[in-house]
Amino acid sequence: MNLQSLSIKRKLMLITMLTSSVALILSSVSFLIYDLMSFRRQLSQDLMTQAEIIGFNSGAAMAFKDETAATATLSALKAKDDIVAAALYSPEGKVFAHYFQAGKSLPSMLPSGSQKNFYRFDGGYLQVFQQVTMNGERVGTLYLLSDMRQWNIRVKRYTGIIVIVVLLCSSLALLLSSRLQKLISKPILHLEDTMRMVSSNKNYEVRATRFYGDEIGRLIDGFNTMLSEIQLRDSALQRANNELQTSTHELEVEIIHRKRTQDELLTAKQAAEQANRAKSAFLANMSHELRTPLNAIIGYSEMLEEEVQDTEKISNVRDLQKIQAAGKHLLALINDVLDLSKIEAGKMQLHIESFDIAEMIEEMATTLKPAIAKNANTFHLQIPENIGAMGGDATKVRQILLNLLSNACKFTDHGTVSLDVDRLTTASQDWIRFRVSDTGIGISAEQQENLFQEFTQADISISRKYGGTGLGLAISHRFVQLMKGRISVESAPGQGSVFTVHLPVQAAGEQIETLPSAQTTSSEVSSEAKPGAETILVIDDDMAVRDLMSRSLTKLGFRVVAAAGGEEGLRLAKQLRPLVITLDVIMPDWDGWTVLNKLKADSELAAIPVIMVTIVDNEAMGRDLGASSYLIKPVDRERLVTLIEKHRAMRFSTATKAGVPPATWPSKTQKSSKKPELVGPRRH
Amino acid sequence: MVAVLLSLSVAVGANAQSSASAASAEYLIKAGFIYNFAQLVQWPSAAFSQADSPIVIGILGTDPFGTSIDRVVENKKLDGRNLIVKRLRWSKDLKDLTECNILFISSSEKEHVADVINMVKWLPILTIGETPGFAARGGIINLTLEDNKVRFEVNIGAAKQANLNISSRLLALAKIVPQGADGRKSE
Repeated sequence: MNLQSLSIKRKLMLITMLTSSVALILSSVSFLIYDLMSFRRQLSQDLMTQAEIIGFNSGAAMAFKDETAATATLSALKAKDDIVAAALYSPEGKVFAHYFQAGKSLPSMLPSGSQKNFYRFDGGYLQVFQQVTMNGERVGTLYLLSDMRQWNIRVKRYTGIIVIVVLLCSSLALLLSSRLQKLISKPILHLEDTMRMVSSNKNYEVRATRFYGDEIGRLIDGFNTMLSEIQLRDSALQRANNELQTSTHELEVEIIHRKRTQDELLTAKQAAEQANRAKSAFLANMSHELRTPLNAIIGYSEMLEEEVQDTEKISNVRDLQKIQAAGKHLLALINDVLDLSKIEAGKMQLHIESFDIAEMIEEMATTLKPAIAKNANTFHLQIPENIGAMGGDATKVRQILLNLLSNACKFTDHGTVSLDVDRLTTASQDWIRFRVSDTGIGISAEQQENLFQEFTQADISISRKYGGTGLGLAISHRFVQLMKGRISVESAPGQGSVFTVHLPVQAAGEQIETLPSAQTTSSEVSSEAKPGAETILVIDDDMAVRDLMSRSLTKLGFRVVAAAGGEEGLRLAKQLRPLVITLDVIMPDWDGWTVLNKLKADSELAAIPVIMVTIVDNEAMGRDLGASSYLIKPVDRERLVTLIEKHRAMRFSTATKAGVPPATWPSKTQKSSKKPELVGPRRH
Repeated sequence: MVAVLLSLSVAVGANAQSSASAASAEYLIKAGFIYNFAQLVQWPSAAFSQADSPIVIGILGTDPFGTSIDRVVENKKLDGRNLIVKRLRWSKDLKDLTECNILFISSSEKEHVADVINMVKWLPILTIGETPGFAARGGIINLTLEDNKVRFEVNIGAAKQANLNISSRLLALAKIVPQGADGRKSE
């Protein structure tokens, strides 16, 4: 067993035992050695004394050469067990008399150099030489040989005693140390027990008992202090843990609660969205439904106006014009609502194309003229000659500018309305900047805050005084955002207003083939489509539309053929090879998309431009399927005419110059300028 | 001196040459014995006139020692006293006889033994003889031969009479002879 791994009990006992035993053995042995040494010396002294006596007693015998007497003297040594041999030597060194125990012999001659008294130890024997004298004269030498019997006996006895004593003392020490070691080992073992208990049970309330005030006692005190500290921390930890659990539980409850709320919110949101969608759908649907009768109202009133004008009944013309204006105003309102609902439903899409800015503005300015004239304002237009083209949604850009300009006109009386267009470059991008300024009533700072929000007008009173839906600026704002541009206003009451719109020169989005591409295809068609050059095929299931289109286009010198369904339309197209086909989408037999597909699939008909005229607002689809233009009902007649004229002009420019010059075109613009209120002025 | 030697040789041995050497060996031992006796006997202080007075050894009769006794005692001292040897004759040197401390009576004077003893028996003189019955007749020490070894007899009474103290060590080796009948008988 390893000494170091012994228990402290055993170690203490071992130390005590070893120490006491070693001390005892050392002291005993040293005492024994000392005693034996002195005993030996004493023995030798005794022997010397004895030799002296014998020498003295035998001196006379030696002097008188009395062997018998000398022998008799030596024989007295028989009483001494340890003297095994004795002899008297004459001065000449010869044996004179002798005595010995059985089995012992004597040196026959006196050893040389033995002229003095001395003793020596030799091989376990003690030898003594004693000079025998008579009145100071040497008469011989006495020799004694002792086997030191007493000494040997003493050695044996002492050794035995020591062994016994050592054994006795050791057992006593064992007894004592086994009792006394508890003084030290007991507290330590107790401490160890306590520690084990603490570490195995994790019970920090246990305390070690302090037995004595010694180092171990202080150790135990320290241990107890540490335990208290640990207990304190443990309970603090426990408390913290409990608190944590409580708060975790609270949190869980809270989370569950929130989740429920969230679910409710989500449900509510979905419901709201559902409701919103339903609202939007309803709005869109309603708008469409409203537009259909409006279509008829405006169209027929226009027709009537033109017809009545010929009969010179001026009063009737004015009435018809009022009907027309009211219809167009209603249409504008519906359009705004529709736009907004589309924006809110996230269905507003950009139709990106490259268009000439100057051209677009010229066109728009024409439309704007009546609005400018109404409050006797002056219009300033400033466009650099090299402004060039921009990529964007032309329709929406036009709408934005129309909104801003018509607003400017509305709130300015006998003042100036200006449009400045220029191109500028910032660090990241090229921009087209449109600045619409007026000298009107201006907008206060508070009013500016909500300027671009829906259904908000600067003042309730304004809506009464100026009219409008209040959607124009909001829609413009949304459009600008859609095109990644920005719109801002600078104004003060009475100081006029400046609206600035920045639009990227090239808007992000799908670039769609522009009209000029149709030119190239039409050039191929022109030669073979000659016979039906002046014919326009109208495919629409609505009789009112067919009628209106026929009437208005016939007036312009076109031959109009109408078809009530897709199938018929397709047949007629093959038969007539018209200049242009106008196509409705929602029809009972084939819908417009199908018809368009079939038209474009037929190699003979594919080159005929198709203008979609429909309530369905899905220009992207129409473009994809190959329609060359897309108009939404109720159709702006002027725009339709412009488009058809463009196609006719294209055909003329590529084919031989034959046909009717556009005689009616100037009169159209004249008429519209007389009814400024009817064209899209919108309020915000 | 030659005559003494001759008489000794005549008395002791048959073969003149060998007996002479044997006699001289015997008397060398006896001279040693005499010296030893001097060591082991205490004289009363009155026996000496002075503290360093020599111990006088008188040899009465024919001298058997030759020079051996002179050689033995030569340069020896006992209690600060020298030893001197005197040779005496019966009837002539009677005065000197009484002044001795040790008196050796040679065997040639065996007829005068009783007279000599009577003369000195109250004086502190150690008488040594070599004739048989010497001690019994009132002599103090008598030298004898036993198995060719020199031994001696002591008459303690005579010693006391002479006021001499004989050491027990000497007595232990001696043959003690009672005072009495033999002496008177021989007288």
